[in-house]
Amino acid sequence: MITSIAHATVYVLNQDEALDFYKNKLGFEVGDDMKVEGDFRWLTVYPKSKPQLQLVLAEPKEGPMFSQDAAEKIRGLIAEGAFGAGVFETENCQKTYEELVAKGVAFIQPPTEQLYGIEAMALDNSGNWFSLVQR
Amino acid sequence: MATHNKIKKLNAGRDYIADHFQGQLCLSDIAKSSYMSPYHFLRVFKEMYGETPNEFLVRLRIEQAKKMLITENLSVSEVCEQVGYASLGSFSSLFAKQVGMAPTSYRRKLWALSSEAYRFPAQAIPACYAYHFLGKLTK
Repeated sequence: MITSIAHATVYVLNQDEALDFYKNKLGFEVGDDMKVEGDFRWLTVYPKSKPQLQLVLAEPKEGPMFSQDAAEKIRGLIAEGAFGAGVFETENCQKTYEELVAKGVAFIQPPTEQLYGIEAMALDNSGNWFSLVQR
Repeated sequence: MATHNKIKKLNAGRDYIADHFQGQLCLSDIAKSSYMSPYHFLRVFKEMYGETPNEFLVRLRIEQAKKMLITENLSVSEVCEQVGYASLGSFSSLFAKQVGMAPTSYRRKLWALSSEAYRFPAQAIPACYAYHFLGKLTK
């Protein structure tokens, strides 16, 4: 039986800049930041209260799975906002929204009543959108 | 669920630990950074994060030690000191308890697996990522 999700991938344009965003704007903690053979950086972050689910911040680069052309196309799609990083939960959407706006986080939608709670939508500094939900 | 202000205060204490884990820490200073009494801080920290402040501190120190053992050419004693432990014996036994092997064995094993000096081997990350990004099927 599958019991939980341990890692999910968020493709970003630049790992250093993404780390700054997820750590210093969203307040996430760094899980792993490891130099791996093959010039690969294994970088993960997680919300402070949930170390069990880590986001892998990875750059699409030419390599075994991506041709140079494919990697460039994916980077273009990220920048266009074609991908989402998922849904982050908060205990107070309005207050968290105000704090993140003050830190310079770009929002697509302010806190809005939805059927499932209060939700705001924002962009990370690569162009990935994410929801902020208070249930 | 904890209130927004309570979470902010707790996060400040947690950040204090993360920012100072390489030095000597005392609970009263950590609790002070959260504007709480040490006893109250201990209780609500565990409730919020599922681990005690000390468990969090040990986790940070051991993770940093693992990284230094692989990516830097420091002796185990130097790593021990740099992650905040005064006693090599305490550090080694904590490391073995958390990682399953002694610091020297950990370094020897991972260095032997890696094709590059001072880099973690592909086996240190989940195999699906090693395959995806490095083209390696690990075992």
